[in-house]
This record gives sequence, structure tokens and C-alpha cells, in this order.
Amino acid sequence: MKNFTYFRPTTPEQAVALLENRWGNTELLAGGTDLHDLQKEYVAQPARVVSLSGVNALAGIRVEEKSVRIGAGAKLADIANHAELKRLFPSLTDAADQIGGPQIRNMGTLGGNLCQRNRCWYFRDEHTNCLLKTGQRCFALDGENKYHAIFSQGHRCVIVNPSTLAPALIALGASAVVQGPNGRRTIELGRFFRAPGANNEREHVLEANDMVVEVTIPRSNLANASYEVRHKQAYDWPLVQAAVSFERGDGGVRNPRVVLGHVAPTPHVAEAAARSITGQAVSEATAGAAGRAAAQDAKPLSQNGYKVKLVEVAVKRALIIAAGQKRYWEV
Amino acid sequence: MPWPTTRRVIGTKVSRLDGPEKATGRAKYSYDINRPGMLHARILRSHYAHARIKNIDTSALEKVPGFRAFHIIKNAGAECRFAGDEVLAVCADTEEHAEDCLRAVRVDYDELPHAVKEADARRLVAGQGTLGGANNPANTQAGGDFATANFDAQAYQGTSHQIEGTYGAPVISHQCLESHGLVAEWNQDQSELTVWASTQAVPNTANQLAQNFKIPAARVRCITHYMGGGFGSKFGPDIQGTVCAELARKTRAPVKLMLDRAEEVTVGGQRPSAYGTVKVAGNRQGDIRAFEVDCYGSPGVGGGATVNFNLLPYVYVTVPFIKRRHQIVRMNVQTARAMRAPGHPQNCILTDQALDDLAAAVGINPIEMRLRNLPPNDPNALKTAPNTYMARRNSIYRSQIEIIRKMCDWDRVWHPPGRGDGVVKTGLGMALHTWGGGGRGPNPTRITISADGSVLVQSSSQDLGTGQRTVAAIVTAEIFGLEPTDITVQIGESQHGPSTPSGGSTTCPGTAPAILRACEATRAAFLAAIAPRLNNAQVDDLVIERGNILNRANNERTPWRQACARLGQNPVQATGDWAAGLSDQGVGGVQVAEVKVDTETGVVRCTRFWAVQDCGLVINKLCCESQVAGGVIMGVNYALFEECIYDRATGRQVNPDMEFYKLGGIQDMPQIYVHMMDMPERGVIGIGEPPTISTAAAVGNAVFNAIGVRVEQAPFTPERVLAALARRK
Ligand SMILES: Cc1cc2nc3c(=O)[nH]c(=O)nc-3n(C[C@H](O)[C@H](O)[C@H](O)COP(=O)(O)OP(=O)(O)OC[C@H]3O[C@@H](n4cnc5c(N)ncnc54)[C@H](O)[C@@H]3O)c2cc1C
Repeated sequence: MKNFTYFRPTTPEQAVALLENRWGNTELLAGGTDLHDLQKEYVAQPARVVSLSGVNALAGIRVEEKSVRIGAGAKLADIANHAELKRLFPSLTDAADQIGGPQIRNMGTLGGNLCQRNRCWYFRDEHTNCLLKTGQRCFALDGENKYHAIFSQGHRCVIVNPSTLAPALIALGASAVVQGPNGRRTIELGRFFRAPGANNEREHVLEANDMVVEVTIPRSNLANASYEVRHKQAYDWPLVQAAVSFERGDGGVRNPRVVLGHVAPTPHVAEAAARSITGQAVSEATAGAAGRAAAQDAKPLSQNGYKVKLVEVAVKRALIIAAGQKRYWEV
Repeated sequence: MPWPTTRRVIGTKVSRLDGPEKATGRAKYSYDINRPGMLHARILRSHYAHARIKNIDTSALEKVPGFRAFHIIKNAGAECRFAGDEVLAVCADTEEHAEDCLRAVRVDYDELPHAVKEADARRLVAGQGTLGGANNPANTQAGGDFATANFDAQAYQGTSHQIEGTYGAPVISHQCLESHGLVAEWNQDQSELTVWASTQAVPNTANQLAQNFKIPAARVRCITHYMGGGFGSKFGPDIQGTVCAELARKTRAPVKLMLDRAEEVTVGGQRPSAYGTVKVAGNRQGDIRAFEVDCYGSPGVGGGATVNFNLLPYVYVTVPFIKRRHQIVRMNVQTARAMRAPGHPQNCILTDQALDDLAAAVGINPIEMRLRNLPPNDPNALKTAPNTYMARRNSIYRSQIEIIRKMCDWDRVWHPPGRGDGVVKTGLGMALHTWGGGGRGPNPTRITISADGSVLVQSSSQDLGTGQRTVAAIVTAEIFGLEPTDITVQIGESQHGPSTPSGGSTTCPGTAPAILRACEATRAAFLAAIAPRLNNAQVDDLVIERGNILNRANNERTPWRQACARLGQNPVQATGDWAAGLSDQGVGGVQVAEVKVDTETGVVRCTRFWAVQDCGLVINKLCCESQVAGGVIMGVNYALFEECIYDRATGRQVNPDMEFYKLGGIQDMPQIYVHMMDMPERGVIGIGEPPTISTAAAVGNAVFNAIGVRVEQAPFTPERVLAALARRK
């Protein structure tokens, strides 16, 4: 790890003032579960690190009348174990509960989760100079890509966005409150992520001198769930994730949102799946059809065709869980 | 002295004496050794899978904070033959500065062609090779083909059923939890070297370092009180041992050099891949007549170990017609090292899975298939060596199969392949294995009894995982009428004398007889010393009972401590070494896996697992059972998760970590049920390796049983299972 100067501001305003308007030389540090990893691998080599550990305003989960506000510094474990959140937004708490292992959940924060770098093994290898560094090519495109994107049309870099909280939050209509040098603004999480293609771009739309302060979720009675297909149960990433939310009505599902994780450079909103399930009663058949609709436009790479099938299944199962029906796959 | 026929401690379940130390972190592994003024070394490695070094420029090193010294391993002009090949080592005051130093060295390379996938390497003919050297030999070579006489004419005569299948497993890594490495320290005038090394061969490591540095063996000390896994990959100082000691010499300071995780995976050892097309043919009753295999595998770039395909067909060695063709494929990745039962798991995968496919084709229960084709007890061996595996193999497997059949309720749970309702399908699969596990010397062990009643056992042997301290304490406690916790055991220091490396499951059978014989010698010396002071007892009248010395002449009992007190100022001490007759070799084992396969996602979970294992005389039942459980866990990982993935374009491993090099956690592991067959008449036999052999094949067969279609390659990942299911439709 390259040596760096450490800053420990106490307010978001101070923190932002310490940042620079270009990426790379100064980095925000929350739980460090991602940043320190990248530093140890010399993939990130900031000369200055701005710790958020002294910014008390970022902590806390507040359930208010109209919305739920989660501080960017809230620990993943606190989100996973929050009784009221579990009741309102099981898609979010289930996703949080499955992240990494207890150590990661006890250190990792919501802000860090949303802003974490991708897990592409070429990107994370110090000695492979890919597009997201100073290189000219994406090695995954025709290389080892079984964990890469199946919806990457038009993107030069075929990473998947790693955050599993993001699809759940997007499906719940959440927004991020962002502190910048000129004050605060709100960004819908549906518009928060982007597909990076060069070393001066991140997986999100923030500027280098912005930071997330909190995430707000509108309070509602949305049925919601997140389902992850995992190779391993312990300490693994999902192969594919589907987060769904919808209103329950007499005429079946209303205003559904279906958001996929680990299939595209950003969380992937599956509009066709939402259309398919709208107005239907959730059943294995209708949920299955929505799953197929979600997978329709996938363009897998050489080694990840299996993910198309997993999208179908994940969407189907997420809808069934959200509808409170029997989990037919659990024996 | 033979093994006692009535045993109070031996064969019971005894918790590891050092368990609390290990669990609380008080146990100091090489990684935990920190010496005053210690420096940290790192190795600069080739990023390329194949390249020639043009130039090494170290001029910027002096400017790096904390830099102390460097040592060139390969000079300009030398070739690096895999990504990870060593070029140079540096040391600095902290690990972080040492890392910075690596990045301050500039190495220019001429990139050379590489091949890191078996399929690519197999296409390269002479003149195109990527292994280095002047004339570019091909990356492949024939590996000892064989055919039974008249195979082509007669092998398939009269057979009614035949299957042809492809099976295989990729290169995997040892992934020792404690990486390779050591701390090296010279004395003031640099005439003596001490290393705290993570090794499974303590005296060997010291001796090799003595040779490398041309100093007397007596002046090198290797200390390995605890080690965190070797599995066959830690038999000597290794290049990092030599480099570390060299840097310590140059800087006149202790130096620590432990591999990091990526290095551990890319240079710390690999199990060779093995792929094969297997044809098996038999009759309606399930008697196999022909076994034909065309296989290849890669031991990496070097010339060393590969899979011993001569063992095919594995276990069922008496199949009448056998044909083997075998190709060794070299590619630009690290050279294989011995890994827990080298070659056997691959051979088991190539044999036992094909056997189940034939059973399905014939339409019989795989258990019947196995019972019909087990090798018979060898009649010659029955005459000359009736306790050996050769003499008893048929009986051993037969009784093991019967035991496991009941344990797992096979007759009720097993169903013909692919039958079963629902999205998640359950399957059972079986596989068989064998291993040597014989002991040998020298393993001199010294025992000292002091007047305070304490008993000290010393030997240089290391604890690779056998629970070696506990083995020594159990045997000693048995003979002296004490409890294992009464015994002090000191191991893992080369100055205690020679000992055999822990390889081939030989540690327990190599040391337990030595300990027993040391006990015998010490007991004789002890009784001789105290007899005159126990009212002039006759030595022959004295026997050691639990807690007492009994004088049979007058039925007088003297408690152990009081008896020892009579030693006064003169502790007794004696040594013993291994001798034939107290240990044996050759074991059999049978394993059954239960899996649940989610046919929508392709996710396989191994839910329950049964293992029946013979290992002669069981010394510590608890450790034996946990050895078996450990072997099963390793095998489940081999079956479901592990794979070194090499990138064609860069020649680099993309998953040299514990993130995408997948290792199951506790939720991924089955409930494991172990049955140890105790056969005391055979003496001690090692079981470090056998219990990992047949696990992957058993899991593969269980998956086949669940879904009715063969997943050809391990690990049985969701994408492979889904592909296999798609083939079925
Ligand atoms: C084995 C393993 C498995 C994992 N599995 C999952 C999984 O299944 N799903 C999942 O979602 N995640 C998973 N993770 C990732 C984990 O969730 C993240 O590492 C963690 O959330 C990062 O949070 P942190 O606070 O430690 O971030 P840090 O490492 O401190 O920061 C991460 C990045 O975010 C930036 N950042 C931090 N806080 C802010 C802020 N307030 N505003 C703007 N930028 C900020 C930092 O500058 C840095 O670039 C896994 C990680 C591991 C190691």
C-alpha cells in the first residue's frame, strides 16, 4: 500500500472541502473494506485519504412518517438487523444480510456499498492495464467473462455493478442525498449509476468532490423482495440478483419495478418484466413469464450464457417471495 | 514390544493438547514470529507468463524509504516461464515499504509466447513450444501408454453394454491458510542460522539451508512449533527460504518473508488437472470386461510430478482388459507439487464416475456394480502378509460398503438416476479409494522422566495436522499409566534429531512406533532405577498400572509421583526409533455423498456425507475422525468450487485469491458422518490423505444420480450443471 496522508474531518462540508475535482489522488474512506483492498493491490494509490469515521452526521437509521432515512455511514450489519427496516423493506435487509461475511458487514457502510468499485478480475489485477486504468482494451470482452455483464450493449467495459443494495433501493424508489462543494442535491438512485469506460470515470455519476450523505426511501406498503442466485452460500457474490417491488391491488400487481443486479455495468431495470407482471396475480406461471421477459434482450458474452437462465429464475423467485407465496425451491 | 492388547487411552477420543493454544491465538506460527529489528522481504515476480529478462534496473531502490537490501534471483538473459516466476527479492523495514521497493525496480522483458490452457498447449508442436529453451520443444509428451495383450481383438467380446464419457477436473491450488514462508536470523558472527519456517519437513529444511549456505548442518536450526497447512507443498526451504536467509545475512538482521495470498495461489503449489475420455464395457450382470481411457493433464511448466495415470482403472485393478493412453501437457503456470494424495483424486474421478455411468446403462444399482468388480483378496499376499491391504482389500471394501449402506440408508434413499420430483433433486453417489500410508524411520524420540513425575517427549517431527503432540501424549500416557495431559511434548525443532518429512500419510505410522519403543526403553530404565529404592524390589516384579507402580511380589502399590521421587537428582532418559512390525500400509475407504441440485439455477449443495475409513490401529479416534472430515471438506471444495482460472491473453491467473477462487464456508459443507474401522492387528497406518480422494467422484456421482445426466467437469458449477441439463432436454 502506497503511503498516504490521512484526514479526519467531522462534518460533510469539511469532508467535501478536502476532496479534489479529479479522481485518483484523494479518496473518501468509509469502512475501508473496498478501498483498502484496492490500495493493498496498488490499484488505488491515493496520496490523500479522507476518513469519514469522525463525521457523526452520517450515522443512523431514521424511520419517519413519510420516509426512511439511512445515513451513508450506516453499517451493513445495522441495516440487515434493523427490525423496522426488515418489516418494511425485506428486499433491502435480505440483500444486506447476504453481503460477504460478518466482518465485511460490520465494517462496510451504505455509502461505501453504493460507491464501491467493480469486482472485475482484470480491473483488480495491478498488472493488467484495462480500459478503466490507462489501457486500451477490455480484457473480459473475449477473455474470462463468466461473471461479467449479459446486458452491456454499447459499453466498452463489461463489468457488472457489484452493489446488491442498489437494485433493492432502486426498486423501492430511493434517492441519494449528495453533498457537493456547492451544497446538497438529491439524485434518484435509478439515475445514480453509470457504466464507466475510462480511468476518470466511476461506476456512479458523482463528481470526485461529491459525497453521499444519506439515502431516503419513501415509506409505502410496497410488496418487495430480493433474490440472489449464489454459487456458494458463504462469502460469495451473487451470480445474478433480482429485486422487485409492487403494489398489491385487486386487479393484481400494480406499478411493479424489477431491477437486476450483477448482469450489467449498472443495476439493470427490466421494464419488459414489469410490463409482463402488471395486472397479473403472481403465480409460478406469471412470475415465470416475467422472468423470461426480463431475460429477453440479454446478449451474453462467450462464457456467461448461463446467466440468462438465472435472470429468469431470479425474477420469478423474487416475485414469488414478494407475493408471500410458498418458496417452491426450498426443500 | 507390540501394541498393548488392552488399551485404556489409545483409540479413545482425546482433544488436541494444543487446541486451546491454537483457538486462542497463543500458538505462534511462523507468521507470528517477530524478532527485534526484524526486516520484511518481498519477491518481485514476472508479470508475464513467458518472457526473457532484458534488463534489471535497481537504481531507484536507494530512494525508497526503508529500503535495506536486494538479491537478484534471475539475471538479464534468463527466462521467466510463468506469471509469478521469481526475479529478485528486496527487504525493507516494513512490509509496506518492501512492497513499494518492488515497484521501484524496473525490469524490461522481451515477451515470449505462452500457453496457459491445456487446449492451447496441446496444439503446439515442436518448434512452437512455449516452455523455454533453445529449440522450443512441443508442450506435450506421451506419458506411458499401456494395453493388456489382445486388447483390440478381445476386450469388447461378449460385452452387452458400453458407455463412453468425458470426465475431468482443473488445476487447483493448495491454498494453505498459512502461506509459505519463514523468518530467518543469523547469529552475531554469521556462523549459525535459525529459521522459523512453515514446513512439513523440519530437519530437511535445516539441512537444505545448510547445504545452500555451505555451513555445517549442526549450525542450522529449523523451528516449526505450529504450521498452518502444507498438503504436500512445503517440503523444504523453497526459493523464498534461501532468499530470506540470504537477505538476513546481507543485512545482519532477522528477516521475515511470507508469501501473500496471490503468491500462495500462483506459486505455492497446484494439483495437476486431469481430463479423460473413458470407455467401459461389461455384461448384463455388471461385470466389467474392458476399461479404456485416453487422458491428459497438466503439471504446469516444470518437469516434475504429474498424475500417476498408471493407477487407472483406480481401485478396480483386476478388470481383465485395460488400455491407457496418457498425454502430459505442459503450460506456463506454476509446476505441480504433491497435494494430499497426489494423483489419486483425479484417477478416482476418471474411474468411479465412469463406473456409475455403466451401472446406469446396465440398469443396476451402483453398489452392486462395485461389489461385482472389487479386486479379490490377493491369494499370494494372503499367504505371506495376511494383514495387508493386498491380502484383505476385497474384504475391507465389502465390509465398508455394507457399513455405509446402512449409515446412509442407501437402499431407501437411492433411486435410479434422474428420478425424483420437484425443482430440487436429491441424489446419492458413492466412490472408493485406496492409499499407502506406511511409516518409516528415522524418527528417534526421546523421553525423559524427572523426579517430580513429569514426563517429557521430544522429537523433531512436525505437526502437519496429525495432532502430533497428542499422538505422542496418548501413546506415552498409555504406557506410563498417566493421562495425555500429564505429558509434555516438544516437537518441531530440528535439534531434536532426524525425522521423516510429513508426506504420504506417514507421520503417525512413522512416529507412533518410535514413541512406543521410546516408552519401552524409558520404562526399562525407569524401573531399573527405582527398583532398588522401592524396598529393593526385583525389576521383573514391577509393573506400571494406572497411576501406580505395582510390586507383584508383595502387591505393594507406589503412586507414580512417589515412585518418580526416588529418582532423586537423576532423571531417566531413553530413546526409541521406528521399527517394522508396529505399523503397516495400505488402506481402503468408501464414501457416499448426498446432494441437492436446484435444476432451475444449477446450484449444487452437498447436504450430507458419509465416510468409512480403515487405518489399522486407531491412536486418537477424535483426530482420525476430524482428519476424515477435513479430507471430505477439501474434496467437496474440489467437487463444487475450486479452479485456477488462467487468462489466455495475459497468461495470468485471474483468481489468485479467496474471492473468485472459491472455497466453501461452513454453510456450504455437508453434515459429515465418519466411521473409523479399527483394525489394531495391522498396526498404525496413516490417514492424512485417503479421506480426500474419493469425495469429488462421490459428489459427481450424486449429481448424476440426482439429475440423470453427467456433469463432465468438476467443479460442478451452476453454469456446468445448467449446460448438462440443457443437453438432457
Ligand atoms: C467477499 C466479499 C463479498 C461481498 N459481497 C457483496 C455482495 O454480495 N453485495 C454487495 O453489495 N457488496 C458485497 N461486497 C462489498 C461490500 O459491500 C463493500 O466492500 C462495502 O459495502 C464497502 O463499504 P465500505 O464502507 O467499506 O467502503 P470503503 O471501502 O470505505 O469505500 C468504498 C468506495 O466508496 C467510496 N465511498 C465511501 N463512502 C462514500 C460516501 N459516503 N460517498 C461517496 N463515496 C463514498 C470510497 O471512496 C471508495 O471508493 C462484498 C465484499 C467482499 C470482500
